[in-house]
Amino acid sequence: MFKKTPESIVGFIVVVSFIVTGIIVTVFDLLGIRVTPYNPIQQNVGVALSGPSWDHLFGCDFLGRDVFSRVIASVPNDVAVSFSVVFVAIIVGALLGSLAGFKGGLLDELLMRFTDVIFSLPVLVIAMVIAVALGPGLTHMMIAMIVIWWPPYARMARGESLRVAHQNFIEAAKFAGQRTLGILFKHVLPNISITMLVYATLDVGTVILVYAGLSYLGLSVRPPLPDLGEMISNSQDYLITAPWLPIIPGIVIAVIVIGFSVLGDGIRDALEAR
Amino acid sequence: MEDLLSIEGFSVKYTTSSGTVTALDNVSLDLHPNELLAIVGESGCGKSTLGLSIIGLLPPSTATVSSGSVLYKGKDLVKLDSNKIREYRGTEIAMIFQEPLTSLSPVYKVGEQIAEAIMIRELRKKGHKVHSDLMQHTYTKQTQKISRLPRLSRKIPTELKNEVIDYLKLVRIADAEQVLDRYPFELSGGMTQRVMIAMALSQEPALLVADEPTTALDVTTQAQVLKLMKELMHKVETSILLVTHDLAVASQVADRVIVMYAGEIAENADVYSLFSKPLHPYTSGLLACVPTGYKDTKELTPIAGTIPDLRNPPTGCKFAPRCPRAMDVCTTTRPHLTSQEDNRSVSCFLYE
Amino acid sequence: MSSETILSTENVTKYFPVRKGLNPFSKEKRFIRAVDGVSITIRKGMTVAVVGESGCGKTTLARTVALMTPPTGGKIVFSGRDISSGRIDRTELYKEMQMVFQDPESSLDPRMKVGQSIAEPLHGLMGWKKDEIDEAVKRSLKAVGMSEDYAQRLPRQLSGGQKQRVAIARAISTQPSLVILDEPTSALDASVQAQILKLLLDLQKEFKLSYMLITHNIAVAQYMSDYIAVMYAGNVVEYGPTKTVITKPRHPYTIALISSAPIPDPTKKNLLQVEIKGEVPSAITPPPGCRFNPRCPYAESLCSEQNPALEEISPQHFVACHFVQKTA
Repeated sequence: MFKKTPESIVGFIVVVSFIVTGIIVTVFDLLGIRVTPYNPIQQNVGVALSGPSWDHLFGCDFLGRDVFSRVIASVPNDVAVSFSVVFVAIIVGALLGSLAGFKGGLLDELLMRFTDVIFSLPVLVIAMVIAVALGPGLTHMMIAMIVIWWPPYARMARGESLRVAHQNFIEAAKFAGQRTLGILFKHVLPNISITMLVYATLDVGTVILVYAGLSYLGLSVRPPLPDLGEMISNSQDYLITAPWLPIIPGIVIAVIVIGFSVLGDGIRDALEAR
Repeated sequence: MEDLLSIEGFSVKYTTSSGTVTALDNVSLDLHPNELLAIVGESGCGKSTLGLSIIGLLPPSTATVSSGSVLYKGKDLVKLDSNKIREYRGTEIAMIFQEPLTSLSPVYKVGEQIAEAIMIRELRKKGHKVHSDLMQHTYTKQTQKISRLPRLSRKIPTELKNEVIDYLKLVRIADAEQVLDRYPFELSGGMTQRVMIAMALSQEPALLVADEPTTALDVTTQAQVLKLMKELMHKVETSILLVTHDLAVASQVADRVIVMYAGEIAENADVYSLFSKPLHPYTSGLLACVPTGYKDTKELTPIAGTIPDLRNPPTGCKFAPRCPRAMDVCTTTRPHLTSQEDNRSVSCFLYE
Repeated sequence: MSSETILSTENVTKYFPVRKGLNPFSKEKRFIRAVDGVSITIRKGMTVAVVGESGCGKTTLARTVALMTPPTGGKIVFSGRDISSGRIDRTELYKEMQMVFQDPESSLDPRMKVGQSIAEPLHGLMGWKKDEIDEAVKRSLKAVGMSEDYAQRLPRQLSGGQKQRVAIARAISTQPSLVILDEPTSALDASVQAQILKLLLDLQKEFKLSYMLITHNIAVAQYMSDYIAVMYAGNVVEYGPTKTVITKPRHPYTIALISSAPIPDPTKKNLLQVEIKGEVPSAITPPPGCRFNPRCPYAESLCSEQNPALEEISPQHFVACHFVQKTA
């Protein structure tokens, strides 16, 4: 599935751990069982601002909450956001892009100009508008990102569809009685999906990064609920006195993003060799 | 008559992700001055590799010459490093490729490119060391001497211009004056191919290597281009090594034909002998494949089977699995090219 | 020999509009006259070869006849039905008319198994049940000389020749009456080409197929066809029984074309006798009158004024030339 270099294997491990952690935490959360060493929102002023120790692997924040537990507890958010956004982006992008590329003409123009408009919207501005309109929160940020995340996929799908549309097997499908929609689903989409999936793997990391930025700005989950970006923003003041507080969530984000990135590279290398 | 080109025991291997492919296996041939030698074969037989390796254009990362020599006027081209090869490539040894549009620079006018070719020829004649990099309008340290000549800006020097027009007329391009000022993409396929020939011949090369020069052309244009190559051969005293998959084309223009199969030479004979009396079963098979005659008259007898996997060639003769006259020895031992009468050779146990 | 007419075109034209200049709202239109009035007839069990060089319109003709693109004018009659008039159910049409394309590499969906590709027209057109379809796929593979287990393979596991066989199997799976062959062997090696041509001939005999063979290769046309139509710049310039057109070509272009085809016989150096000047004309602004007149060695003033129509100069042999007597 992917080219096994040292980096891509590490990336694979990171990604799998990320996803598995997210699933486990969510499932057990629904069952009401706590998986993390400490309750992520439990305050314990006595150990506030204590550094990493065997008791508290990542130390405690200014309210005495265990940072490690908070990090683990915030993974499901990131998993949910990143996968949902990319998932919807692929679907919407693939459908619009392949339709545009395959049919061409006026439809192509309209769809692509629409794509261009959406593409020009900055995610931050949209996020803030939605935050103002609907209030902050995880789902709202997901919506904000979904709304503007699909244009690159549409462009990619369109380009790939153009390439596929000229192949003889598409003509043959017409001789087999297929109409546009049938050809799109049976022939075009399967043949463009690989490129898009590779891009998506790399993209998941970017979503996490952007989402971290949004939650840093306070647009996502509000405290005391944990969220990586929000954890960074709330502990900025402690950069000198308790550096692990802003730095560790930052490193966690970086590791996850890089993990997706190298895994995506590995997948792309494996596919190119074929 | 000294041989212009003498290839001896030449083998080339490609390394691929799925194994090592022996593209050329112990190939030996001679090319005489003023001769048109056609190398004929189907895809994968190694004919293009042969053409490319003569002038050192094999991809260095994957291809290796594992044995043999390519003697051009007595000098082993294989032993030359890439700088030295350039003194021959594009000058004494010219090449024409299948896709004319990818061989001409798209950013310079046709006239300018031919003029530059002529300039290089003149420099070479005067004994200057020339790199074929010049053909790309790049100047390296060693060619400082050339800078004394007028820079090839937008104007072609007049004395060159007339010669360029002469060459364009030589390749039957009407409106040579207008074509001078055109860019390659403005011309049709046939015209660009003729421009390529003009450029190659303006070098007054001793050897012209043409790799499927007419495959991408219409049949009438092909006829014109081939006729032209044959005429020019005698006018300019060039030898031509023509690589083609088309036996009919070879029969029309070649003096001598070499048939290749799976990286080896199957048969080497003058064109008349080859077609009237093919010795190697592959040659006869190939001849029987060319459609002649009308519907419902002569049966085409295709050659059974497919070409062997060059990563894992069969032991013994590579054609044996498909050969209607294969004998026991054919599956165990490799045949060698053996000389026959009438100045021909064949690699087949039927004749050893 | 049945003389039932499978396909007949009457003056069919196909023009492609081309905008003059860059203004998207400009009313001025020019046209690429790709097919400019072609009338051919194909009878049951026969092969008509449409030969010509690039730009002559032969591929466009094939695509127009197959209604891949709607004709601009003229009539196309298939098995007695006028299919050129507006509303035609292509599902019904393609049960009887199929096409094999030039490039075997792109003729099969790389993500679909061979059996699925062959079954596609059966699913889309015939409405058969799974069992019937599976049987038909097996039969088709057998008919093209491939074993059943090829149905499970992917295209990338097949050679070029095998891919083309699969494409042929797919085309005959609905048991059509007409198969349009668009340069079916141009991308194949000589020995593979021979296999495919032999296969096509065998299939024609077995299933009484009619072929419309598009090719630029005279030898292939000669070997495969009963009739040849020679196209130049959108027109048919000569049309007749294969042997007649090959041995007694009368249109100056046909003469040049036939003599340009290299004969695999070194004692017959036909190539070196050929002399044809000029280039194929622009399809947007063809030369006035006869399209070939700028290059024709026999041209006179009438040739640049009037485009000649096809005239029967001997039984079944048609030539479009004002001065055809000059080539007698």
